[in-house]
Amino acid sequence: MAVRALAWLAERSATPVYIACGQDGDAMAARLAQVPAISLQHSIRHAAILLVAGPYRDADRPALRRLHDQLPHPRATVWWGAVPLAEAQDAVTIAQGDHPVARLRRLDRNLLRGERASEPDWLPDEPPNEWRGKGDHGQGGEGMMGGVPYGRPMAMMGEEMRDALMLDAMTITIGPFLRTLPPGLSLELTLQGDVIQQARVVTPAYPASGGASEPLLRAARMLESLGLPDLARRAQISAMRDSAEGLLAAARRCGALLALPAELADVRARLEAALRGGTAPDPGEEWLVDRLAGMEWQSALLRIASFDPATLAQIAPAAEPDEDEEDGDEKERAA
Amino acid sequence: MTAIPLVFALLAAGIWFAAIAERFASARRFPSAIVLAPLWQAARLLSQQRVRTEYPDALNWALAPLVYGALAVAGLSVVPFAPGLVVAPLDTGIVLWGACEALTIVAVFLHGWSANSMLPLIGGYRFVAIGLPAMLLSMFVLIAAALPAQSLAVGAIVESQRSMWNMVRQPLGLPLFLLLGLAISLRGPMDYGDASDLSGGTAAEVSGPHRLAWGIARLAMLTAFAAMGASVFLGGYLGPWLPGPAWLALKTAALLLVLTWLGCNLARMPAPRMMAALWLVLLPLSFLDLVIAGVEALL
Amino acid sequence: MTAADLAFYVLSAIAVVSGWRVFRTDSMVRASFLLMLSFIAVAAIMLMLAAPYIGMATVFMMAVEMMVMALFMVMFMMNPAGLNPMNMVHQNRLSIGAGATAFVGLTVAVLFTDLPHEKVARQAPVIRDLGHELLGPSMLIFESAGVTLLAAMVASVVLSARSGRFGPSDEGSRPPGLEPGGEPAGRIPESEQEDE
Repeated sequence: MAVRALAWLAERSATPVYIACGQDGDAMAARLAQVPAISLQHSIRHAAILLVAGPYRDADRPALRRLHDQLPHPRATVWWGAVPLAEAQDAVTIAQGDHPVARLRRLDRNLLRGERASEPDWLPDEPPNEWRGKGDHGQGGEGMMGGVPYGRPMAMMGEEMRDALMLDAMTITIGPFLRTLPPGLSLELTLQGDVIQQARVVTPAYPASGGASEPLLRAARMLESLGLPDLARRAQISAMRDSAEGLLAAARRCGALLALPAELADVRARLEAALRGGTAPDPGEEWLVDRLAGMEWQSALLRIASFDPATLAQIAPAAEPDEDEEDGDEKERAA
Repeated sequence: MTAIPLVFALLAAGIWFAAIAERFASARRFPSAIVLAPLWQAARLLSQQRVRTEYPDALNWALAPLVYGALAVAGLSVVPFAPGLVVAPLDTGIVLWGACEALTIVAVFLHGWSANSMLPLIGGYRFVAIGLPAMLLSMFVLIAAALPAQSLAVGAIVESQRSMWNMVRQPLGLPLFLLLGLAISLRGPMDYGDASDLSGGTAAEVSGPHRLAWGIARLAMLTAFAAMGASVFLGGYLGPWLPGPAWLALKTAALLLVLTWLGCNLARMPAPRMMAALWLVLLPLSFLDLVIAGVEALL
Repeated sequence: MTAADLAFYVLSAIAVVSGWRVFRTDSMVRASFLLMLSFIAVAAIMLMLAAPYIGMATVFMMAVEMMVMALFMVMFMMNPAGLNPMNMVHQNRLSIGAGATAFVGLTVAVLFTDLPHEKVARQAPVIRDLGHELLGPSMLIFESAGVTLLAAMVASVVLSARSGRFGPSDEGSRPPGLEPGGEPAGRIPESEQEDE
C-alpha cells in the first residue's frame, strides 16, 4: 500500500534520464531539452533510465556496460536509434526519427509501479582485473602506492608539473559518454588535485555530421560547465529552432563571457562565436592533450568543449592502441 | 520554549519555498501544480535504490548529510523570532554561526572524500579551497555588523537596527555575506562542490534517499543562512503592524528569492580565478566594510 | 550526579576516545577529523566552564585548521575514502617519551596549581572581561603573538605564490647562490638532477 502510494506520488515528477550520446546523440538530446516531463541528469546515479541516443562504436561497448551497471534500481535502458547490446533483455527500442517522450514516461511509470522488472547487471560483480603479482601487495605499484590492483587505479607519487614537488597523482578515464565532453571523446587524465598533469586521448569524438545547429549545441555544453543549466537548455532549444536570437545577450547578462579569465581568451572567442551560431577558426596546430596539461578541471572541460568537431578531429585523433590501458575499471567514470 | 517549533516551522517552510522558487526560476513549469513538485521529487528519490560505491568510508558518507542539516538547525537556533524569543540566547551568537559555517565546509568535504570516487573528491577539494576564504570574509562582515550593537549576540544586533538597517548602514555587508550563502548552500556561481562540470561533484555518486537527505540539508542551510542574513542586515523581526516572527519569515523569504535568482543567473568562473578574486578583491573589501563600521562607531 | 556532571563525563570520554583513535586509524583525513572531534568535545567543556567565547572560537578554529590540513592531504595524496592505508604512528620511542613527559608535566601543573574555587556568577560579563583582559593587561602578549602569526602567514603566501620569490614558479624560478656565481641554494628538483 505504502509502496503504491509512493509510486503514485513519484510518477508525477519529471523522469530523470541519463543520455549516452552516440553519433548525433547531441542533437537528439536537444530535442528532449524542451520537454518538461524529462529531466536530463549529469550523473548516471541520479537517473532512472539510461537513454542510448544514436549509433555507438564497438569500442564504446565496455564503457556502456559499466555505465549501465551504475544506474540505481529500479532502472531500464532505452535504445533510441541504437542497436541494443546482446545483454539487454526485453530491450525498448525507438527509431531515430521518433519522439521518445511518451515511451520514456510509460516505462518510468511501469518501473515505479513495479510492473516492469528492474534490469539486472550486465557485468559480473567481480574485479575486472586479475591480481597482479607486482609491488609489496601485488597491486602493480610500489609499496602501498600506485598500480591498478583489481583494475582500480591508485594514487602514485609523481613530480607536480608546476613546482616540481613530489605529490601523488591519480589517473582516471572520463568519457566517452560524459555529458560535459563532446560525444564519443574519451580521455585518460592524470590528476593532481583538480589540475591535469597529463592527458591522453582514448577514443576520439564522433565525426561531425555537419548539422547547422552544431555551434549552439557546443555552446550549450560550455554553458553547462559554466554553471548555467537554464541558459544551456535555452541554447539547445534554439539549436532545434535554428535561431540564436538573443542568446548572446542573455549569456552576457549572466556573465558567461566575463567569467572566463584572460588565459582562456581563446575559449571566450569560441564561445562568443558559437552563441552567434558560427565557428571561430582555430589554427589547430597544437595537440589537445598538450593544451590541457597544467589546466584546472573546469577550464579544461571548457576548452575541450569549445572546439568545433573538425578542429577536434584534427587535434585529438585516436591514440595508438595500448594493451595495458584497455583494462576495464569498475570505478571509471563514464557518468 | 515556543522558539523550538518556530525554528522547525521556519526550516520546513524555507525548504519548501526555496525548492519551489528554484523550479520557478529555472522555468521548468512541470508538472503544472508546481507547489507539490518537491513532494513528488522526494517520493521518487525515496523509491530509488541507495547505491554503494566500492569501499566508501560508509560512516562519514552517511554522516555528512546529517551533520550538514544539523548545522543548519544549530545556526538557526541563535536567530531571534521576537525580542527574547530564541532557542539559544547566547552572548556569542555570531561566533556560533561562524563555527557552523566552518563545520559546514568540513561536512561537504567529507561527503566528497568518503564516496571513494574521483569526481566527488575533486568537488570536495575544490569546495574547501573556495569555501574557506568565503567564510573568512563573512566573519569580517559579521564582526562589522556586531560593532554598532557592541555585542556578539544576534538579538542585540537586531535591536541595534531599530533606527537604521545594517544593509543601509554598511552597504558592503550584505552583498559580501550573500556570497557565503551561495557557497555554503552549494549554489550557482559559488557551487564549487556539487557543480555540473563534475557531474554533480560531491553528490555525483549518491542516489535515492541519500540524495534526498543531501538536497534537504542544502536547502535547510540556505534557509538558515537567509534567516541569519535577514536578522543581521535586514533588521530581523523588526517591523510595523505584523508580529516579529512574520517579519522574520518575510525577510527570510525575500533573501531566499534573491539567492535563488543569483544562483540561477550568474556564471561560475574557474576556481583559480574565483580564488584570486576572493583573496585579492573581496577580502580587502570586507576589511573596508570593517573600517567603515569602526569609523562610524567612533563618530 | 547532576546533568552537568554527566555531560562533563560524556564529553571527556568523547575527547579521550577520539584522541586515542587519532593514532589508531589508518587515514590522515580520518585522523585529522577525529582530532577535531576531540577538540570539539573540549570546546563543549569550556562552554560549561562559563567560557563561551573561547569554547565557540575553539570549534571555529579547529574546524578551519583541520580542514586546511585535510586540504593539504588531498593535495599531497589523491586518496579518496582513505583507500591507501597509512600508519599514523612513527618515531615511537621519541613520541612515547615526549607524550609521557607532557602528561606528567600537565598532571603536576593541574595538581599543584591553586585553582579558583568560587563559581562564576550567572550574570558575569565574561566576554567583556575577556576583551578587557586581551586589550588591557595581556595586550603585549596577545598582540606580539598576533603580529608574529600574521608575518608567518604573509611569508608562507609569498613563498608559495605562483609569482614566486625568485621569478614565476612555473618557469623554473631558482634562488641565487650562497656565494656569487655558486650553486643555487635550496633543494634541486629531481628532474634537473637527472639532467646533470
